Amino acid sequence: MIHVRNLKKTYKDIQSGQFTALAGISFDAMPGQIYGLLGPNGAGKTTALRILSTVLKPSEGSAVVNGFNVNEQPEQVRRQIGFVSCNTAIYDRMTSWELVQYFGLLYGMPLDRLHSKMNALFDRFQMNEIRDVLCSKMSTGMKQKVSIVRAMIHNPPVLIFDEATSGLDILVAREVLKTVEQLRDQGKCIVFSSHIMSEVKRLCDRVAIMNRGVILAEGTPTHLAEKHEENDMEELFYQLISQSEAQLESDKSVAAASGVLTSQATN
Amino acid sequence: MNWPTIKLIFRRELRDQLRDRRTLFTVAIMPMLLYPLMGMAMMQVAQFMRESPSRVWIVGEEKLPASPPLIVGGKFNPIFGTAESQLIELIGSSAGDGHFESLIKSATNAAEDSLSVEETLRQEMQKRKMDLAIFIPNQIQIPQRPDSKTNNGHQDSTTAPATQVFVLTDSAIDKSRIASERVNRILNQWSTEFSKETLVANDIPTSMIQGVVFTTGDVANKTGKQAAAWSKILPFIIMIWSLTGAFYPAIDLCAGEKERGTFETLLSSPAARSEIAFGKLLTVMTFSMATSFLNLLSMGFTGIFVLTKLGSGIGAGGALPIGIPPLASIGWLLLALIPISALFSAVALAAAAFARSSKEGQYYLVPLLMISMPLMMIPMLPAAELDFGTSLIPVSGLMLLLRSLIEANYTDCLKFAAPVCAINLACCWLAVRWVIHQFNSETVLFRASERFGIGAWIKHIMRERRSLPSLGSAILCGVVILVAKFFIGFAITAPQNFGQFALQTVIILVATIFIPSVMMALFLTRNPKKSLRLKGCKITMAAAAILAAVFLNPIFTWLTGFIMHIYPPSGDMLMLQEAVSRILGSAPGLWAIILVFALAPAIFEEVAFRGFILSGFQSIQGKWKPILLTSLMFGLAHGVIQQTMITFVVGLVLGLIAIQTKSILPCILFHLTHNSLAVLLSQANRTYVEQSPVLRQYLYSTDGQNYQYATFPAILMSFVGVLLIIWFLQLDLKPSNRTEAYGRVPHPN
Repeated sequence: MIHVRNLKKTYKDIQSGQFTALAGISFDAMPGQIYGLLGPNGAGKTTALRILSTVLKPSEGSAVVNGFNVNEQPEQVRRQIGFVSCNTAIYDRMTSWELVQYFGLLYGMPLDRLHSKMNALFDRFQMNEIRDVLCSKMSTGMKQKVSIVRAMIHNPPVLIFDEATSGLDILVAREVLKTVEQLRDQGKCIVFSSHIMSEVKRLCDRVAIMNRGVILAEGTPTHLAEKHEENDMEELFYQLISQSEAQLESDKSVAAASGVLTSQATN
Repeated sequence: MNWPTIKLIFRRELRDQLRDRRTLFTVAIMPMLLYPLMGMAMMQVAQFMRESPSRVWIVGEEKLPASPPLIVGGKFNPIFGTAESQLIELIGSSAGDGHFESLIKSATNAAEDSLSVEETLRQEMQKRKMDLAIFIPNQIQIPQRPDSKTNNGHQDSTTAPATQVFVLTDSAIDKSRIASERVNRILNQWSTEFSKETLVANDIPTSMIQGVVFTTGDVANKTGKQAAAWSKILPFIIMIWSLTGAFYPAIDLCAGEKERGTFETLLSSPAARSEIAFGKLLTVMTFSMATSFLNLLSMGFTGIFVLTKLGSGIGAGGALPIGIPPLASIGWLLLALIPISALFSAVALAAAAFARSSKEGQYYLVPLLMISMPLMMIPMLPAAELDFGTSLIPVSGLMLLLRSLIEANYTDCLKFAAPVCAINLACCWLAVRWVIHQFNSETVLFRASERFGIGAWIKHIMRERRSLPSLGSAILCGVVILVAKFFIGFAITAPQNFGQFALQTVIILVATIFIPSVMMALFLTRNPKKSLRLKGCKITMAAAAILAAVFLNPIFTWLTGFIMHIYPPSGDMLMLQEAVSRILGSAPGLWAIILVFALAPAIFEEVAFRGFILSGFQSIQGKWKPILLTSLMFGLAHGVIQQTMITFVVGLVLGLIAIQTKSILPCILFHLTHNSLAVLLSQANRTYVEQSPVLRQYLYSTDGQNYQYATFPAILMSFVGVLLIIWFLQLDLKPSNRTEAYGRVPHPN
């Protein structure tokens, strides 16, 4: 369903010249599977998901979503996905009903089918009480619900959740996670990024632990636990990130030392 | 582009903005409340506004003649101006202490120290709180004719000093200026009456001084006068409000959406970037038009109401000459609102698309206003009128067209509507393209605040240098050349001889064209030599370039004549041409003229335009777009509109030669030959041509001074010239490695 190969993304940076957000990641996510992207802030999770949703273009490598290449067929890719971000990103001056209808129409859905789908989703998420309420008047949890319904309205085969439970209270967060599970059970391919271990452990069928644009470890939670002999996901995450940071520091020191030596040799 | 998607986005954005209280307040509520409130305030203030009387100090009142009486009962005689007399409070000479008289006498006697005397007088008037002072130094009496029998013992009037009355004002003070106007009206009337009485006293008929009586008439009808007055006011108002009305919705729809995070959601939907841009543009346009219309409406109603209340009597033969705008004016205004709003909305959206937050977007309002305001002010200048030159100026041309429409000057409108619409449509299109580009640009969509430092920025520029100039560097070079030429225009003085003229011309070319392009090639590119196309070429190419210039010359000469016929040179331009001809007369020889007019521009202009600028524009795909843009800049750099048009066409040929040969050497040779032929043709005279059997066949002149190509040789030459251009087009050159040159991969060095 999603095939990512050697995906790289670099940005120009006025201070350092170039900043590498993704240094060549590869993974596959299948239908009926929740693929977790786990990593600290700045690991490159959001960049990877933005590339999958065609908002960003990769510098190198390829990503194919349900058979469509993000570089060559961005419009078709956008029709295959539903994107839920951490900041809810909904229009404050629209009601939940208007907002969902707007996106349904943007996806080219006929109005009668759209309305029956909307009724079903509003029933399922118990949103009928807020259908005529402006989004600006809603709580963060309510907004996230609207955002999920908005992403699901065109029944996409792929759903991307970018830290979707960030900032939500425990009750709403649990509801969001329950929805994600239900979607997986419906056969959707889900990419779920988070830095909350318990969520990943509970939900994900496969996990990629990322730091500084690279995947440090990838596999099922059980496989990762066996491979690294650590059952606690949080501890495993901590160890991998610490090792990665230590390795980077050591590489920097070696590079600096070799620079000094080269300079002394030339003098 | 899918129209239903654009409509969907437009309707959503429109609804969104209509639910925004700030936008509604700016667009609808503010104009509805602001003008009536301002009107009410004006009416309140008007109640307290009374014309204050002028305090006039009169010294030497007793020296006035008994008839005609200037002062009656301590006031100016009302028969010389009833209203003025009422508004002047006279303070008699008793208030003086003799000091004033001595000051006036010293002012009249000591001319060399007049400035200090004037200053003393001014202080004296200020000390006494006078608005004006009248000083009558000598007795005024009706003069007698020298041969008059009644002239018993009086001084001969032909030798007697003229009767003088000093009127002192302080023009730096408004009240003094008003007093001066009032007093002058009375004194002029009195002086005329005094002259009449003088004539009567000397038995001379008063008709002797009537002279020629001028009777003036005004052929304009009332509607025409109203239209003329409104044509200057309304376009400006509509433009200002159109821009203001466009800006705030544009910021909210672009920068605001980015800030709220909803823009990313929209971009990940199937709507194309162009559909999003057009949906937003239509929304901004709607608000721009609504703001403009509602402001006009509110201003109109308030204006009529307030002025009627104040007694000006709009439309009822009152004091106000402009009245209510004619119906046709309002119709044209509403029609013009569409392109005006489209232009400003596109420009505002382009600026807002670049901003990453609403706050940043507001910062862009000031530069946008600074660019728009002068363009809006140009048509308000008295000498500004719709012609080909002004029709090419964005905004100004549109404003002048609207002015002509309101004035019912439809001939000019028909003549220049096409260039005005084309140039404004082009601006609109460019702005929309920019918006779409911004919506596709990751650096704009997701850029974060970077700590900015000059050092880091210079390092960044040096690090990111490419082999060849970028599009931005090419535009920058063109702009620098235009600005440098503008400013150097203030520094140069009129040359007195050919030596000065030649030196000045070369300095201008080097300082404003050559140095900027070479410096940019050195500092902004990794390969300055390649950037400036400094390389040799095959001998055939060089020869073909020279021959092309020779054989295409009849076409360019004919084109020059045609442009000069359509757009005749202005008086100033003709004077300049005459001055240059005079200076060329002092040239040591033809070689010197060719050196200055042909060789110097050929080298310096080619290095800049076909070298650096064309290389930069070549980062745009295709061959013709870079050639077209470079030629446009080449034309603009020549300043005068006729020259701009001619050099633009010559630039197209030069650009083609540069791209096909990858060298500026053939361009220099073409340019040199082309300019040399122009010089030779302008210097050709009857003796010279008649003596040459070859030239006699090719050239003819109707006046023996201005020579042109004979028709048949011109056609033949042009045919060969076109064949040479085809030869250049078919040159089999290796495709240039543009990917390497313009790719984002940093140069290994």
